[in-house]
Amino acid sequence: MERDLRIDFFRGLALFCIFIDHLPNNFVAEFTLQSVMFSDAAEVFILLSGLTAGMVYGRAMERQGFVIAGVRVYHRVWQLYVAHVFLFMMFIAMVAYTVGALNNSLYAEEFGAANFLDEPGVAVTKALTLQFQPAFMHILPLYIVLLAVLPFVVAGFRSWPRVILFASFALWLAVQFDKRIALSAYPGPDRVWPFNPFAWQGLFFLGVWLGWRGTRGEVSWLGRRWLLLLAAALSLAGFLIRLNWTLHDFYDPIPVLVSGRPLWLFLSKTDLGLLRFANVLAVALLVARLIHPQARFLASRAARPFVICGRNSLHIFCLGILLSVLGHLVLNEFFGGIPMQFAVSAAGVAIMISVAALMEWFAAAQGTSRGSPLGAPTAGRGARG
Amino acid sequence: MNPGFLRYAIVLIAAVGIGLLSGPVRAFGEERDCPVPERFYTFEPPLTKTAKALASGREVVIAALGGASTVGLAAGGPGLAWPARLALALAGRFPSTPTKVVNLAVARQTAKAAAERLDRDVVPLKPTLVIWETGTMEAVRGTDVDDFRETLQAGVDELRAAKAEVVLMNMQFSRETDAMIHFGPYLIVMRELANANDVPLFRRRGIMRYWAESDLLDLRARDAEKRRQLAAKLYDCIGRAMADFVTRSVPAAKAAASPGSDR
Repeated sequence: MERDLRIDFFRGLALFCIFIDHLPNNFVAEFTLQSVMFSDAAEVFILLSGLTAGMVYGRAMERQGFVIAGVRVYHRVWQLYVAHVFLFMMFIAMVAYTVGALNNSLYAEEFGAANFLDEPGVAVTKALTLQFQPAFMHILPLYIVLLAVLPFVVAGFRSWPRVILFASFALWLAVQFDKRIALSAYPGPDRVWPFNPFAWQGLFFLGVWLGWRGTRGEVSWLGRRWLLLLAAALSLAGFLIRLNWTLHDFYDPIPVLVSGRPLWLFLSKTDLGLLRFANVLAVALLVARLIHPQARFLASRAARPFVICGRNSLHIFCLGILLSVLGHLVLNEFFGGIPMQFAVSAAGVAIMISVAALMEWFAAAQGTSRGSPLGAPTAGRGARG
Repeated sequence: MNPGFLRYAIVLIAAVGIGLLSGPVRAFGEERDCPVPERFYTFEPPLTKTAKALASGREVVIAALGGASTVGLAAGGPGLAWPARLALALAGRFPSTPTKVVNLAVARQTAKAAAERLDRDVVPLKPTLVIWETGTMEAVRGTDVDDFRETLQAGVDELRAAKAEVVLMNMQFSRETDAMIHFGPYLIVMRELANANDVPLFRRRGIMRYWAESDLLDLRARDAEKRRQLAAKLYDCIGRAMADFVTRSVPAAKAAASPGSDR
């Protein structure tokens, strides 16, 4: 089976958006996914990760059984965990470096509460248990817990697919009505995981199901015409409303056509509000139906930077977090206005692409089989999430 | 890497960069050492009731809620905090109107704690205007943004029911903290909430960033005494900028500041 280039391409796109959105005060962030849909790069990333996980591990479970597939999943969980701890080390280095300057600044009283080094023992331990998620370090812990339960969910899908799908959806729905269904986080007392796993599992496991069964044409309703029309209508509505808000942000006299206020309830990012959930699914369905997995554009040179970044997503994601921290230092030290924001965004994206290209080159030099993600042993290339 | 792509990217970036080079900036209070470009004020809804009250000559009460930067700790005392500087600036502009600015700020107070004080500490003052500086503790502590929005919305509703006009003021700008503290979502909540309620937002963060960017204020001072002086100057600048912001729709003040936009 040929590799689905759409997943790599859009995951690459999401990675670029995550990097750009994380740069503070960045004008370029007005042009990312969040400006044209209710969802943002996080939804795209988690859905695509679910689809990939379903394709890879769902089939692995059929072929190799629960134990082998389960070990492969946990091998991946371990890689993600190590990446998370690595990012945390960078964060602590940043804090340790900053804190001296902060304590001798105007802001000592205000921002001093952010000094986690007051109790380093607790902070580090809580980071290891994923309860301490500093700025920009929220998505890996979510992904880790979702993958950790994946083997059991996939096993459940084999026996009682409808029950598991319904349970997953019901849990998402319950979170929408009861905000107390959440995981507590450090430092408390009322801090919760910024991405509520009980809500986001709905998107991830639907992705797993669709990646496993849907891509083989085993989910018949996916091909229905009315579903395509509904998805098109939803995507278009999301596009128009969100674009209108973006334009209003640019230039205030442009009137807001649909007030955001009644929609706030459905736009929660923490709890994956209905509109965010529906919008990303609608766009994904459109892409799945309208773009061929090996479409000529996706294989072209112009699409290649996206595809190679998406293919090495864990490394490029971590690199993106590092670059957004460095980019922030540059932007807040030298300012330079919009041209500088463009330059920093472009430089970061260029570095991400270069590193991905280097990784691809190295993998090819090592003689790894490219383009056959499922044939690779252990946590092969296709397992990259 | 792919040279064609890179060439394409460089041309695109250069083109956009040139297209966006901004024109000259016109500002309020040109004579001052910390002017604020008009774009920070132009599209914020006016405070008609407050403007009318200031022009009327009757007593005007303004209440300020907030955290350490409103208390004025870094400058050394409440007399040097921005609410006191605002009172001074207003007294200069409306000598016949007795204006009282009550500083209710408490260091490290959350929006929730401030909202709980509204009916007890704020409403009984019968303020014409309430300036609510908030968002810092929420960003520092990573409070759920949906909770923050609900708290603010309930607070704004309560103040408006008490017939007070409201100004929201966002966080301070600092070079050091952006990588540690994720302000973005909280800034967006405040912007959206201000828009949805037709409440003006005093974009302190953007204004301070502008001052730092144009070398009007160096926000870094290692030495304790210099730091205190810097804080006093910063709060004075904020207080006077707030006076401009509040009096935008007073006819006399409007004549002094020419309308327009630098965008």
